[in-house]
Amino acid sequence: MIGEISHFLSLSAVLILSLVLIFNLFFFFSKVHPNQLTLSMRLFNQACWLVFISFGMYVYLAISDDFSIAYIASHSNSQLPIFYKITSIWSAHEGSMFLWIVFLTAWSILFINSLDNEHPLKKFTLLMLSLIILGFLLFLLLTSNPFERILPFGALEGADINPVLQDPALAIHPPMLYLGYVGFVISFSFITAYLLNGNFELQWEQDIKNWSLVAWIFLTIGIALGSWWAYYELGWGGYWFWDPVENVALMPWLAATAFMHSLFASSKSNVLKTWTMFLGILIFALSLFGAFIVRSGIIDSVHSFANDPERGLYLLSFSGLITLFSLTIFAYRLPVLNSSKLVVTGSKESFLSMNNILMITSIFSIFLGVTYPLIIESINGEKVSIGPPYYNTIFAPLILIAAIFIMISVDALWQRSMPLRTLFFTIAPPIILSLVSIYFIWWTTSVFSILAYVGIFSGLLILFSYLLRTINNLFNKRFINKGSAIAHTGLGLLFFAVSMNSILSYEKNLNLAPGQSISVDQSVKEFSFNDIRVFKASNHDVISAEVSLLQDGQEISLNPQKRKYATRGQITSESSIHTTFFKDTYLTIGDQLDNGSWTFSLKINYFIKWIWFSAALMVLGMLLTIFKKKAS
Amino acid sequence: MNQLLRFLIVILPVVVLIFFAKILLIDEDIKFSTFDSKNFPEFQLNDLNGDPVQSESLNGIKILNVWASWCITCLVEHPFLTRLSEQNIQIIGLNYKDSDLKANAWLEKHGNPYLFSIYDPRGDLAFDLGVTGAPESYLIINNQVVSHIQGEMNQRKWNSIFLPLIQQAKQGS
Repeated sequence: MIGEISHFLSLSAVLILSLVLIFNLFFFFSKVHPNQLTLSMRLFNQACWLVFISFGMYVYLAISDDFSIAYIASHSNSQLPIFYKITSIWSAHEGSMFLWIVFLTAWSILFINSLDNEHPLKKFTLLMLSLIILGFLLFLLLTSNPFERILPFGALEGADINPVLQDPALAIHPPMLYLGYVGFVISFSFITAYLLNGNFELQWEQDIKNWSLVAWIFLTIGIALGSWWAYYELGWGGYWFWDPVENVALMPWLAATAFMHSLFASSKSNVLKTWTMFLGILIFALSLFGAFIVRSGIIDSVHSFANDPERGLYLLSFSGLITLFSLTIFAYRLPVLNSSKLVVTGSKESFLSMNNILMITSIFSIFLGVTYPLIIESINGEKVSIGPPYYNTIFAPLILIAAIFIMISVDALWQRSMPLRTLFFTIAPPIILSLVSIYFIWWTTSVFSILAYVGIFSGLLILFSYLLRTINNLFNKRFINKGSAIAHTGLGLLFFAVSMNSILSYEKNLNLAPGQSISVDQSVKEFSFNDIRVFKASNHDVISAEVSLLQDGQEISLNPQKRKYATRGQITSESSIHTTFFKDTYLTIGDQLDNGSWTFSLKINYFIKWIWFSAALMVLGMLLTIFKKKAS
Repeated sequence: MNQLLRFLIVILPVVVLIFFAKILLIDEDIKFSTFDSKNFPEFQLNDLNGDPVQSESLNGIKILNVWASWCITCLVEHPFLTRLSEQNIQIIGLNYKDSDLKANAWLEKHGNPYLFSIYDPRGDLAFDLGVTGAPESYLIINNQVVSHIQGEMNQRKWNSIFLPLIQQAKQGS
């Protein structure tokens, strides 16, 4: 019964939103009567609340184990802790789409109510938001209905959530990521509204700045959590695989980062306005492209949901429609928009624009990497795979150029060209320090890889620039933009950590019987496989190995596990990780051989935790920027 | 210039849209057929000596063993595979995500139980076969994938899984 009510509420939301849409389209060209907007707003708010209540009821259905609902029956189980019963909702296509729409609705209702009724763009923004929510609700109900019942008799027990998804990081990863993705519906709708409205004297940047910053933070946390989960849960020991679905999350992130930067420039000194608008549209278009790639099953990937061409076509046509709508108006208005000031060469804006171009280049390269295999396959049926080597070679030079521009822009001024003398004193110290450090790293590790060293050099350039700038400012008591400094330090650290990780990390495959002990290398002097135990946990059986290591003169005990989940019969590996400041010792247990010995995979990952620390720094920097804006 | 830019802003997304729509509609049978029939997937790969592999070589009763020089368990099952090959069981190797130099050196060092090894450095054929990792062994009878064993191959698994099917096939023919 509750299932039907929940379903009915979603359907009602569709109805009311259609009403808002028709009503507003009807008065599209007329001057808005205050009452008309008030009425539309009421209807819109009600529709949003219907979606929330419907989702709340759906959560209740999941908690109360209503296995007559097909989706819940195939993704949850009565044995699950309540936390995972809830998160099982977004463990597959239908439910996660529902969550996606709930977030879309949440952002929309918050934003539209923050604008006062006199705001000239409110009418058009409302129109865009209603259209987008309606389109996706229809997609949910028509092609991927999560409310479908198993008739006439429901299932007695659920099929269980995929065990690798029973993990706190993964439970939070999709919501964070979706909050980021759909958060950019605000910039998209607002910019489209601005273009529709046609009064270009209006200032629009301030209205969406903080909203976009918050969405960027969610997107960053979402991506970082996903990569952290992949690292410790999947047992592969890697953190980023250039998987198509990771790529489609990275593209909006890059676009959003470019957007942020040009938004700062355009609100500071009235330049790059048109460009910022284009980026604002692009982010959401790329988010939609990501949703299409993941949910159409067009690319085989770890993340992809069930293959269904019908869903793919609906998503493609709807996303295409709204993106094209927005871009067409943009193109139509372009001649009138080209009126903002020109960027002064050598000013902060000029370096920032250069990095904007680099970010667009990386987006394009990733886009090509994702679509190229599809293009080739559709031409001659041949399968090509594009992997890390492609991305590494493309990104190394881009990162280097970006780092150089970031380094220069540390001392550059807004709207004014930078004197050559200053330029020299800005770039010489970091370059020298970085080169010395590189030599030191090469001397201690005696490994050489041109791509990795380019990455390390880029990272160090940024780190030293900000370090020197900070020291300088401490003595001269000058202003420093703390948010920007912290975020960029995070970026420098990320380049550094990723590159160091790639040259220093290594893997050993071992084969030992219980009680046996061997020497692995100079760092891991002794590897003893002490014991293996089998026991039962709440919903799975555990095989747990007890291993002790003598690493760098230190005794470490690790216990990697294998778990067999009762309901699905799926076996997962739980790796055991020992973290020190510079490196992680990462141990996974493999199969048992017939002679009673076990295989182990021992990975030594250098600087890996620094990667997530640097993501945290970027988020912190962005948070400071938001609060500084609030204070001033 | 400006006209061209305006034109491109609209046209480029349209091209992308048409492209994806085409893939979804026309190539539906290509994209959305997963490998569930038991025919051996088609492939064009060389063996470790660099000669192209003929698909006729999969006729008759063959064992396809997925191996790599980096794989510890492969070394463990290697003596058993050698014993099988001495009993005139025909084993074809599928060298998986490996380099041909290392693979050939490995065979030289430990002995070669395979008729030949298909060289699949990117794991394309392995992907089509549904390989989860090395080692893994497939029983192929007349180009049909009949059964498969994950992990180490040994006397126990051979006797319980592959041998009955082979005997059945021999009686049938």
